[in-house]
Amino acid sequence: MKFNLFICILFFSSFSYSSYQYETVLDELDDAWSFVFLSEDKILYTEMPGALKVASLDDKSIVEVKNIPEVQYVSQGGLSEVILDPNFIENKKIYLSYSAKNSNNKSTLFLMSAELIGNELKNNKVIFEANAPRRTAVHLGAKIAFKQDGTLLLASGDGFDHREKAQKLDNHFGKIIRINTDGSIPMDNPFMGVEGALEDIYSYGHRNMQGLVVLPSGEIYEHEHGPRGGDEMNLIKPSINYGWPAITYGIDYSGAVISPFTEKEGMEQPLLHWTPSIAPSDMIFYEKDIYPEFTNTFLVTALVSKDVKKITFKDGKHNEESLFSDLNIRLRNIQASPSGIIYLLTDGPGGKLIKVIPKDL
Amino acid sequence: MKITKYPFAVFSAALFTVMLITPISSIANLLWLSSVDMPVGFGSSLEVLLFDFQRLGIALYGVVILGFIVAFTVSGLIAKYTRLGGKYLYSVAGAFAIGLAMFLMVELMFQTELLGGNRTLLGKMLHWLAGFAGGYFYYSLISVERNFTFIIRFLGVLYSYFLLGIVLDWIFNPSNAATGFGFVLSELSNEGQNSLIRDFTSFFLATFLFSLLGAVTLNHAWFFSVSIIYFGAAIFNLSAIYIHGTGYNNIYLSEILLGLWPFILGIVISIKKS
Repeated sequence: MKFNLFICILFFSSFSYSSYQYETVLDELDDAWSFVFLSEDKILYTEMPGALKVASLDDKSIVEVKNIPEVQYVSQGGLSEVILDPNFIENKKIYLSYSAKNSNNKSTLFLMSAELIGNELKNNKVIFEANAPRRTAVHLGAKIAFKQDGTLLLASGDGFDHREKAQKLDNHFGKIIRINTDGSIPMDNPFMGVEGALEDIYSYGHRNMQGLVVLPSGEIYEHEHGPRGGDEMNLIKPSINYGWPAITYGIDYSGAVISPFTEKEGMEQPLLHWTPSIAPSDMIFYEKDIYPEFTNTFLVTALVSKDVKKITFKDGKHNEESLFSDLNIRLRNIQASPSGIIYLLTDGPGGKLIKVIPKDL
Repeated sequence: MKITKYPFAVFSAALFTVMLITPISSIANLLWLSSVDMPVGFGSSLEVLLFDFQRLGIALYGVVILGFIVAFTVSGLIAKYTRLGGKYLYSVAGAFAIGLAMFLMVELMFQTELLGGNRTLLGKMLHWLAGFAGGYFYYSLISVERNFTFIIRFLGVLYSYFLLGIVLDWIFNPSNAATGFGFVLSELSNEGQNSLIRDFTSFFLATFLFSLLGAVTLNHAWFFSVSIIYFGAAIFNLSAIYIHGTGYNNIYLSEILLGLWPFILGIVISIKKS
């Protein structure tokens, strides 16, 4: 009798603690990469082949937005991130990052602003073209975030074959870029007037950034893929060198040593690193209270570990917890709706948008 | 005892070529690290070279073997049915095989250059040159008849080569090496960490050196020494599981394999000598 009671308690306690209910809201998405909420029941999302779509989460209707820039959909390239202007309700402006060929027929990263009028983009303007030409569209970064001063941050990856250039300031490989929304360079950028440096660079020494968020406090957090091991989460500060590839906790895919060094004076250490790699793919800082257990934590989606990492920092140490691993699927993106409901976007062709139903609903 | 020399000549030439190719990427990387004022010294250089030789080398070994099998088979047919032949045919075939392998590695890996040392023209030329030398070495191996010692030496060196990675991990990166054996090094006491590092490093270093000495001297005692150590590890692993209740693990299978390999080499040497 005691044993049976124990089993019952064990069953119900684990069930109530570990389980979230999920609802597939959209499916058969064609390599969707990012999404934003236009309202509680309407999202705007990108598909890597070069489609921008508006989906209703109520009736599941999907409408394709017209006048999208031509993208280079190959390897890791394509239409990547979409974000809304902080004044979107008034100005209808959105920002898109994507890979495309430059005038020399090389692949690079572009950032475009446009106005979403109805189901069409108007007044399209390329506001940034990365000086990071590469043979193949890989390691683009492509994450965008708004700083609180209204300037844009854009992650520009190291291009894989060009990793050493992440340590040079005369290019955009492995850099976080800061520009104004019209493409001009803010006068208070850290490398303004520095000889030989591109003035739109905000920080450098990065690899392939896949998460970029700005907190209400103004702090900027980023995470990036390492090679084999050495995925990092960093606190981004202006002009700081984050070390790639001179210092790293990972080794090359081939097994070769990239660097025997993990630290050096003048190069910033990560807040945490994942070795072996989890392949972090997106990140939000959850501020709402629909899921009280997540409030004021970072939620990081991962491709390899197929879960969401809940991360908190306290007294210089971090705590990490795995969430939603029962989905057992590569997760590409995560967003919270205006009310705070969490949605997960799965990776690759045939993708799904999954709603995480709070425990008390 | 005469043997079929060709397969082992391919394996040996591939190993020789890998020894030449691997440092190209290592040195290119070290030169770049020095150029950005990283404190590259003798110790860090040795660490990079040895690790690359073991980890990158194993990956390259498979690629080079495949390339050489095709290239040297074609060369053999050309030599047989035409007047072309000799060491330069195999050398050119070796260079071509490496060049093609490097090209295909790029095309098959998202069109990115996986080998850091192959990103420049100079690096590419050095790779071709290594393939050329590999082809030359292959020709020198097949141009004279070989006996069983050739195989013993090759298998002994290959065995040592596999052990080298474990040795290097315990010397340079014991935390990572310990994880592979189920330890979290930082959770052990200082004495525990010390004991683990010194004992494991000594264990693997000894077996690595014994097998290398066996390959060099062809003295069966070296190989038997290695097999005794690994068979012992397997036996006491099983006794730990079933007598002392430490929980099941299948590492004993690796230990039996690591004991069997030198044991067979030792037996073959003994039979031949008797």
